[in-house]
Amino acid sequence: MEDFELLRYVTIGQYLPGESIVHRLDPRTKISVFLFLTLAVTFNRSYTGNAIMLAVTLGLVLLSGISLRYIVSGIKPALPFIMILSILQLLFYSEAYAPYGMTTQTLFQWGWIHVTNGSVQLVVVSLLRFVELLFLTSLLTNTTTLADLTHGIEAMLRPFSRVGLPAHELSLVATVALRFLPLLAEQLEIIMKAQASRGADIALRGRLRFVATARQAAVLIVPLFVDAFRRAEDLILAMQARCYVGGRGRTSYVRLRFARLDYIAYAAGLLFAAAMLVCRNRFPF
Amino acid sequence: MKEPVLSIRKIVIAGVLSAISILLGATMLGFIPVPTPAGHATIMHVPAVIGGVMEGPIVGAIVGTIFGIFSFIQATIPAFKDPLVAILPRIFIGITAYLAYAGLKRVNVYLALTVAAIVGTLTNTIGVLGMGVLRGYWAPGVALTVGLTQGIPEAVVAAIITVAVVVVWKRIETGGKAKM
Repeated sequence: MEDFELLRYVTIGQYLPGESIVHRLDPRTKISVFLFLTLAVTFNRSYTGNAIMLAVTLGLVLLSGISLRYIVSGIKPALPFIMILSILQLLFYSEAYAPYGMTTQTLFQWGWIHVTNGSVQLVVVSLLRFVELLFLTSLLTNTTTLADLTHGIEAMLRPFSRVGLPAHELSLVATVALRFLPLLAEQLEIIMKAQASRGADIALRGRLRFVATARQAAVLIVPLFVDAFRRAEDLILAMQARCYVGGRGRTSYVRLRFARLDYIAYAAGLLFAAAMLVCRNRFPF
Repeated sequence: MKEPVLSIRKIVIAGVLSAISILLGATMLGFIPVPTPAGHATIMHVPAVIGGVMEGPIVGAIVGTIFGIFSFIQATIPAFKDPLVAILPRIFIGITAYLAYAGLKRVNVYLALTVAAIVGTLTNTIGVLGMGVLRGYWAPGVALTVGLTQGIPEAVVAAIITVAVVVVWKRIETGGKAKM
């Protein structure tokens, strides 16, 4: 671990500024449509269903102006792993999976290896689903700032606070986490440099001695937790000193408003996802 | 005034532990090399265990959920891009860890912490691998092999880290030389 610059690794779903229709939508709309479409993707097993979903999600990504190359570059390092897993799935996992819309036919059999049209469908659908979810996630996180996302989630959870769900407190947890990320990343850098300068050997000792490596990692991690805890205690004291009493009756500086575009997008997303879910067993193929 | 479900303390600790979990995942610190097929044992779930042990099941569940959501967003492997595989099992890590800890606390604190860490790690491993099997990503045999080879080193590593961190935290909390 010669590399001490950790701050640049801390980018969750990087926000890419833009002026597209998707960027302009209210975060609540985007989160809702994301959830609807994710449900539709998760429960569709057929080739046709996934082809439709793929086309739709690809269209949405193009609409939002996010560069496809950016999304694809994120998965490039994992491609070999994906290929190996897919091949394993294809060759060995036919027994328990009945294919959708067809009767099981063995395409190839040799010893342990047993390829059926079921396992082919499984592999193809898994890969398609992966791409669709990748597009959907990028669609949400690349067009919405994290602050907007937390406002949106809090606003959406607020109706549930009447039945006891602490909506404001939960979004505050997310806000605290986001605020602490860069602080802790910086602190981790400092700790690594300090320990290295004291001669702590952070070089990895080889796989078999993982207990030793774990204890070395503890040398970095325990101070990190301790520092985080101290900051947490300070924050708790500060909030108590300002008489923070929770979210009941609280108003906020940022107010989310729906525009006409939001209603259209919301309705379109809901209807499409509902249609896909209802028809998921009616596709021919 | 009614005591809120999430006190200030719980909110802040849940947030801080979630931040640590995300940080462990975003930098390579969260992955400790072990001699297994996947190559790494992860400690990203340890903050969820610690949250459950120190502040209760709700905080543990929150940290676990955020860990799950983050791992879903960061996933580059099809199996882990599935929300049911990435998020659902992670919610229970903190809860099971809390239950194990609360049950054994009276016997011996160190034992309770170790068992809680092991239980939490097993929840993560069995939960994620199990959902993967249910969703058809890999066969039960593969899941079992990976679970054993991966799960045991992960549990050991998690136990070491959990005990180390909680012991130091508790000493800070009671300010100085506390007898646990």
